Amino acid sequence: MKYVIIGNGVAGINSANEIRRRDTSAEITIISKESDHFFSRTALMYIFCGQMSQQDIEPFERDHYQRMNYKRVRDEVLRIDTNNKTIYLAKQNTIQYDRLLIASGSVGRLPGFLGEELDEVGNFVTWQNLEWLQEKAKTAKHACIIGGGLIGIETAEILLLAGINVSFIIREDWFWPIALNKNEGDLITEQMKHHSCDVYLKTDLQEIVERDGHVAGIKTKQGDEIDCDLIVFAIGVRPQTDWLKESGIVLDSSGGIVVNEFLQTNVDDVYAAGDCTSVVWFNNVRRPEQLWYTSRDQGKIAGGNITGDKQIYKRGMFYNSAKFFDLEYTTAGYVNFKLDNEADWYQHEQGTNYTQRITYLPDNTVIGFNFIGRRWDHRPLMKWINEKRTLDWVISHLHEANYDEECMPKFTPLTIAKEVQS
Amino acid sequence: MQSGLLSTYNSSARSRGAIGWIISALLFAFYLIIYFTGIFDPIAKSLGLGGKWDMYGVLYTIAIVGGGSYFLKIHGNSRYQRIRTLSLMFVQVIFAFSIPLVMQMFESKGFIFSLFWPLKLDYLSPAYILDYPILIIVYAFIGSLILVPIMTFLFGKRWYCSWVCGCGGLAETAGDPFRHLSNKRSKAWRFEQFSINFILLLAIATTALIIINWGLHHESSQGEWVTDHATFDLIASKIQGVYQFFVVALLSGVLGVGLYPLMGSRVWCRFFCPLAGLMGLIQKFGRFRITVKDDMCISCGNCSTYCEMGIDVRMYAQNNQSFKRASCVGCGMCAHICPRGVLRLENKWDFAPIQNDSNVDILDL
Ligand SMILES: Cc1cc2nc3c(=O)[nH]c(=O)nc-3n(C[C@H](O)[C@H](O)[C@H](O)COP(=O)(O)OP(=O)(O)OC[C@H]3O[C@@H](n4cnc5c(N)ncnc54)[C@H](O)[C@@H]3O)c2cc1C
Ligand code: SF4
Ligand code: SF4
Repeated sequence: MKYVIIGNGVAGINSANEIRRRDTSAEITIISKESDHFFSRTALMYIFCGQMSQQDIEPFERDHYQRMNYKRVRDEVLRIDTNNKTIYLAKQNTIQYDRLLIASGSVGRLPGFLGEELDEVGNFVTWQNLEWLQEKAKTAKHACIIGGGLIGIETAEILLLAGINVSFIIREDWFWPIALNKNEGDLITEQMKHHSCDVYLKTDLQEIVERDGHVAGIKTKQGDEIDCDLIVFAIGVRPQTDWLKESGIVLDSSGGIVVNEFLQTNVDDVYAAGDCTSVVWFNNVRRPEQLWYTSRDQGKIAGGNITGDKQIYKRGMFYNSAKFFDLEYTTAGYVNFKLDNEADWYQHEQGTNYTQRITYLPDNTVIGFNFIGRRWDHRPLMKWINEKRTLDWVISHLHEANYDEECMPKFTPLTIAKEVQS
Repeated sequence: MQSGLLSTYNSSARSRGAIGWIISALLFAFYLIIYFTGIFDPIAKSLGLGGKWDMYGVLYTIAIVGGGSYFLKIHGNSRYQRIRTLSLMFVQVIFAFSIPLVMQMFESKGFIFSLFWPLKLDYLSPAYILDYPILIIVYAFIGSLILVPIMTFLFGKRWYCSWVCGCGGLAETAGDPFRHLSNKRSKAWRFEQFSINFILLLAIATTALIIINWGLHHESSQGEWVTDHATFDLIASKIQGVYQFFVVALLSGVLGVGLYPLMGSRVWCRFFCPLAGLMGLIQKFGRFRITVKDDMCISCGNCSTYCEMGIDVRMYAQNNQSFKRASCVGCGMCAHICPRGVLRLENKWDFAPIQNDSNVDILDL
């Protein structure tokens, strides 16, 4: 049996491992245009600032491919012909497959402005983006980052550390409203300002100013004119599936590959996993997930299913963690989902960066958590949501979910007072 | 992002660049000279110190206090790191430096309370220990044979390796800028399992020889300390000399510190230290473990990179496996720098089977 996997990211390599686990004699080929070795995309920022080396961010030892007997092809797939089961490559000839797994991940979005094609404009998503940013950072004095999400704040952080002035252009009323409330967003904004980042809230990009073929600055709809010599768009990612347009494989409106619960596409013997895959969420909305652990889980399940398993991929309860500069952030369950009549119990310890937000329904059952400043264990939090615990119960048990480093002062919930703000 | 780690790989000294090699060569030269020649004696005397080893003690203490202060500056935001580093600095200044110095003034012989057998074989050597007052003899025996195992069972070997020990103390302070240079490959791990247990066996055998040889001695009618087994005596003291030369001088001194800028700061602790080997065996059955929060790891590799013992922490973290590893010195750095707060050092009365060394590999083909 000849398996071909397009993509050497977390979804691709994990699916290869699952195929190998079930079939020691299968021929497994992994195609990637980006890199020879699987690396951790989440760690690109640490390479940029010299905290880790290229090999440090590779989760497996380099001989993994030999040991597992994977064939690697470093080339770009231009298109596929699913009738003849043929893959057309840019540099080499074609490759035939019996079964195909697509894990082509995502690319950074560009909004379609005039001036985007300039050399000083780009994203921070791929290895090539990293090399580009490293090169530009050598001479750049002032960077504008457009888009207020996680990749945006990470990019701001590393550019500031490289000694570059940063203007962070955010369209929304506060930072990351999709996950944070105003108070939390303001806290993060303060944190950014504390690290000398210029934050522009409620600001839209209007125009990229060009001079002699180079970026000279930006203009915003609100009338700001900012001189800069580097622009990074961090307005989200989209599935890297342009090359699938004529393949007959069904894509959703965002370009995500539509799959069923077994991660199988509409075409026989073709599966998909990871960022490029459009799956059904808890609220029956279909869209890609674009997270590290969901890509890994999808890769594992698709890898098993492509060999004949029948495992169902089910989108679990949402949880995540992140770090905004020095601030830790943990979330679990349904926060900011605008469900019916939800209310927040919110505490911010004055003078510190510790906040706790618990979202609950009118009958007092807790449905979500948002915590900044300290470490939390999402496992008990999720368990409590599943057990439909009440707000009072949760508050009195909150210390059980604390996950601070040892020796930290013992955690106590800020106050027991109930504050409703919807 | 952790200040102090930022430009790690941009610095020649910290990324095995030319400066790194030069520092290594200088350290090698320094250790070879101090162990095998008397060149430093006159220098030490002119500084008002007794001899080259007193000078070494002063330098060592300065390195730990200076390096520790820098470490506190960059990692002191973590309370665990702060307390641990202050403890290392305190032990070095008081127990390893000042108390022996004061004792020497009164007794002519100093005793380092922060060392134990088998790091210092002498502490179970009758001939050595009997020169000391009874209280110290009791301390050496109880400390080495009871205190060390119990503390290790309760808290892991970290209570010693990264809170008390002088070798660890230097590694964690002046050696900290080199911690990421430890080899993370599974080959290095296999070598470590062999080498550390081999040296431990060697230490036990040498100690046994010393004790047996002492037992075969007796006081002659002239009041001299003699033996009827001259060949055994010769062999025993030869072996003791060989151990002293290879293990103590070469491995712990010359190589252990000389290789800091090339192989990281814990070469001695990881591959050779017999006390670490012994405590590692106990640690695997003890309460200490590193807990992993399920499905939160983004495989970034900060933990593995900055693990000075070369443990591939990420491999456990991304497989959702809490783990006990014999070599872990509990420095807490992996937990401290993990950007997703995945790891936590814990002591627990929970002996349910936990991840073992052998089945970490994702696939065994
Ligand atoms: C800067 C940054 C930070 C992030 N931080 C986090 C985080 O903290 N937490 C989190 O959960 N997620 C994070 N993510 C998201 C996470 O990295 C992705 O969800 C994950 O990497 C997706 O993995 P994947 O295997 O689906 O695709 P990718 O890792 O994108 O891999 C795609 C693979 O497909 C190959 N490929 C694509 N098209 C072709 C083609 N035409 N021909 C040949 N090969 C092709 C590429 O070469 C590559 O090997 C972050 C992402 C970025 C960019
Ligand atoms: S595993 Fe963590 S605590 Fe143990 S030695 Fe390595 S970095 Fe230190
Ligand atoms: S445990 Fe933390 S530091 Fe280690 S790889 Fe995972 S996220 Fe990174």
